[in-house]
Amino acid sequence: MIRIKGLIKKFRHVTALRDLDMTVPAGTIYAFVGQNGAGKTTTLRISAALLPPDGGTVEVAGCDAVKRPRAVREIIGYMPDFFGVYDDLRVGEYLLFYAAAYGIRGPEAARRRDNLLELVGLGEKREDFVDTLSRGMQQRLCLARALVHDPPVLLLDEPASGLDPLARVEMRKILQELGRTGKTIVISSHILPELADFCNYVGMITGGRMVYEGPITQMIAAAQVQQIVLRVAGKKVPARKVIEAWPNAEVVKLTDEQIELRLAGGEAEAAALLKELVQAGAAVTHFARTEQTLEDAFVQIASEVK
Amino acid sequence: MVLSESWKNFREGLADGLLPLLGKEIRGRSRSWRFPLLLSIYLALLSGGILTFLWLNRQVSQFFLQTGLLLYGLFACGLVLLLAFIAAAVAATAISGERERRTYDLLLVTAASPAGIILGKWLSSVVYLLLLVVAALPLLAVVYLFGGVPLVTLGKALLLSLFAGLGYGAVGLAYSAVLKRSQAAIIFSLVTVFALIFGTLIIAGIVAASQRQPGPVPPPPPGKERAWYIYLSPLSALPDILPQNGVPVPIAGELINISRHLAAGAAGVYYEESPFGTPATLKPGWPAWARFTVYQSLLTLISLFTAALAVNPLPPWRKWQLLRGTKEPPPKKD
Repeated sequence: MIRIKGLIKKFRHVTALRDLDMTVPAGTIYAFVGQNGAGKTTTLRISAALLPPDGGTVEVAGCDAVKRPRAVREIIGYMPDFFGVYDDLRVGEYLLFYAAAYGIRGPEAARRRDNLLELVGLGEKREDFVDTLSRGMQQRLCLARALVHDPPVLLLDEPASGLDPLARVEMRKILQELGRTGKTIVISSHILPELADFCNYVGMITGGRMVYEGPITQMIAAAQVQQIVLRVAGKKVPARKVIEAWPNAEVVKLTDEQIELRLAGGEAEAAALLKELVQAGAAVTHFARTEQTLEDAFVQIASEVK
Repeated sequence: MVLSESWKNFREGLADGLLPLLGKEIRGRSRSWRFPLLLSIYLALLSGGILTFLWLNRQVSQFFLQTGLLLYGLFACGLVLLLAFIAAAVAATAISGERERRTYDLLLVTAASPAGIILGKWLSSVVYLLLLVVAALPLLAVVYLFGGVPLVTLGKALLLSLFAGLGYGAVGLAYSAVLKRSQAAIIFSLVTVFALIFGTLIIAGIVAASQRQPGPVPPPPPGKERAWYIYLSPLSALPDILPQNGVPVPIAGELINISRHLAAGAAGVYYEESPFGTPATLKPGWPAWARFTVYQSLLTLISLFTAALAVNPLPPWRKWQLLRGTKEPPPKKD
């Protein structure tokens, strides 16, 4: 659905994007993750035809963002990370204004307004002025605005930034609902765990380059790192000696109660380590693998790139 | 095929920007406290000027004979100047205000084209100006009651004020699109408008004075431009629609008298005798007010075009460079 090749963007002496490649398959919810300043917003703005690239190509549903910017804007719904609202408009008028700016007027615009306000849970706020809404409500209204022309692709730049936990949950529910309708959604964020639950594809950007792209599950597997929590009764020395001698193991945290270690390899490697620990005389009372999170995988991949 | 698609895109982009923005701006302004405040100040200044004039002239013997003409001169001059500066200041926040409110990207990402956005913003300021002109009509009626001024002349004064507002409003809009901050856009717009209204005439006056030889002033050849740029100032057009006995406005009145002299050659209508002597016999040519409206229309077109280019995320030359794969220009800050 979105195909980016060799994208380059420079701002004065700063190179924001260096030969970035990115492919977003149709119908996926794509987690676009990276640290602050990695180039996420720049990539999304170029994809929305809001910023000209200095090199490379961006195609959205086959439309080139440089050759046919208007066609691209009609295909995408864009929600920036920071945005304002017109404080002199009511919620309903706000959506009607943007509907008209996409050429949708009359009863059709009113129908879409009502449906979208219901979707984002603002049906009762239709006659309220936009500036009286809370931050979370404004975020949801902005999402409704991005959906007003029913675009097949959504580009959401940090949609949950600045929201309280409850508002984050609400936003996540709406995005999951949208994902089920078959829309292609790109969500950028530097808060990784909040994306892991409902995104099925991931792209990781560091320093303006894509360092990993693929299904989330594959990425975690590709990282091939597992976190293990180990507890032993009595002295920990034999256990520590085994771990320190083990080629693929690394102690992450050592406390009086337990040892947390990172172990490369899969289940077989963990089983072999456990066997070795028992044979070395360590009284193992607890040996548990923890689930690798998106954040753990990202930290590892980013450190490997460095 | 490509041409027809481009034309369709242009037409739709224009409509998608113009109509919604026009509606939104009018609705927004009608709800804002700023418009009633500005309208009150504007009417207070106009009516205050008229009342002050009537009070100062209450004991002049020929008061009633000249009151209508003098009041009209005062009114026309005040209206032109007020609308020119108000239009520029109001339009100067149109685009930069969107940037400051962080609604700019949301607007650009719609199907509205840059030309549609700019025209929508400009037309909303036109509506705003029309409201100001309509609001001044009761005062104009007072002036008319004193007599001595034909209705056509009053209409010309309104037309001139409107053109001044439209052109300088477009200048303000261009600054608003080019500069990122509203404050800077307002300052630049007001300075530019000031320079166009007063600066052009002052420069023309200095140039004319420096070129003057002792003895009688020879008339310029018919049609020869003496100082074409004075028609960027509405004061140069006012002599056409003002009484010969001067305008009771400090500075502006003097500049109008200067322009009365300078405009003669430029318009192909010149005095056969000294401009400060006996009433002159004029030869026909384009009237100054018509020249001003033409110049103002050109200024409007250039300003709107500049503004539309400035808000375009992908201006034509950049698109051409990218499609040709040429070396990129020095990158600008995001």
